[in-house]
Amino acid sequence: MHSRPFPIASILILCSLTLVSVIFMAGCEKDDICVDGNTPLLIVRFYDQADPESTKTVAGIRVIGIGNGAAVSSFADRSTLDSIGIPLRLDMGATEFVFISNSEDDNGMEIGNQDTLRFTYIPSSTFVSRACGFIGQYEDLSSEFTSDADNWIQSIEISTPFVQSIDSAHVKIFH
Amino acid sequence: MSRYFISLLCLLCLGISWSQDQNPSASQADSLERTDPYGIRFGVDLSRPVLSFLTDRYTGIELVGDFRLRDRLFLAAELGNEEKGQSEILGEEDPGPSNVLYDYTTKGSYVKLGVNFNSYQNWYGMNNVIYVGGRYAFSTFSHTLNSASYFNSNRYWDPNGFTLLTDSAQEFGGLNASWLEMVVGINAEVIGNFYMGVSVRLGYIFSQKSAEEFPNLWIPGFNKVTDGSNFGTSFNYTLSYFLPLYKKARIPQPEPLD
Repeated sequence: MHSRPFPIASILILCSLTLVSVIFMAGCEKDDICVDGNTPLLIVRFYDQADPESTKTVAGIRVIGIGNGAAVSSFADRSTLDSIGIPLRLDMGATEFVFISNSEDDNGMEIGNQDTLRFTYIPSSTFVSRACGFIGQYEDLSSEFTSDADNWIQSIEISTPFVQSIDSAHVKIFH
Repeated sequence: MSRYFISLLCLLCLGISWSQDQNPSASQADSLERTDPYGIRFGVDLSRPVLSFLTDRYTGIELVGDFRLRDRLFLAAELGNEEKGQSEILGEEDPGPSNVLYDYTTKGSYVKLGVNFNSYQNWYGMNNVIYVGGRYAFSTFSHTLNSASYFNSNRYWDPNGFTLLTDSAQEFGGLNASWLEMVVGINAEVIGNFYMGVSVRLGYIFSQKSAEEFPNLWIPGFNKVTDGSNFGTSFNYTLSYFLPLYKKARIPQPEPLD
């Protein structure tokens, strides 16, 4: 029987090739950073009560989540805007906010006009990608509005009851 | 994706070219009839038990076998069972429990059937194999989603982590996948009919049944499923025993060119 130095050398070469290719392929993988989706914010747009087709900015807008107490940080606090995005709770089917126009502090007291809004919905989830996993969505959005002696908000309209992206406004507020 | 091809192609070319520059022995015109053994080789993958031992939340076993059908053609099969638990964590540097996006366990079995073509020309009396091959593979499996949270870059309502979506296990069963595999590998006799082998595989999923709520991110036998791609890679390291069943006359080897 002949003998040749076949097996050991070959095995070594193929093993190292395997290793190299595995490392190489692992290096090609997409980074584990979530860029494919996000739980959407609730997009609120402000319209003119007198001219319901046109938007109207709110000066010094501040929104405070009831149960949190801090101003919502997803837009510039107390700025003048015609559209804002606010986060809804995912652990329950309702979120309450105080919407304040002309927000300003006077010796630590809020002197802006405060209106309380309650959004109710059904939280749901959808799987986006390996890196992001599940994001939240809100179905059957509706709103309740507590009226007081001096409301700056005149009326509310839900324009998109299924909140699944931030591409379009979900709520219209007339003032 | 093309890089997968390129690296595999390189491997293939290397295997072939290097097996070809080894000339067959100058066949002397002797009168003795030379024979080659034909039979069944069966064995087990060593990498899966080792990984089962070394890795948390993984157990796996794979049985391998082939049958020499013709001089260079082998029927080959693999049969395996794997279970793997994984969790996707946001930000590897801080794997706190509140950063776990989801955690799941996959278990299932697979079978791979196909052929190997030996590209290696042995000297008389040796039966080593450097092969390229193809497989049809089928796997049935289930995923259990152990827990999940909502990914949300806004931390207003949950400053310390993500809002929990579920922490009660939910099973998605009755799933399956079929894929084609290209195999490059080697089987070398180490001692009396015992062979050590290694193979690398490039799989292409052509059909799969996945749960509506949760996609197939990992498939037993196929390995990791990449976002937006049907390709996957896997490998094995085998120890097998060749059981000779009968002998056939050796196919004359081509004369080396002078």
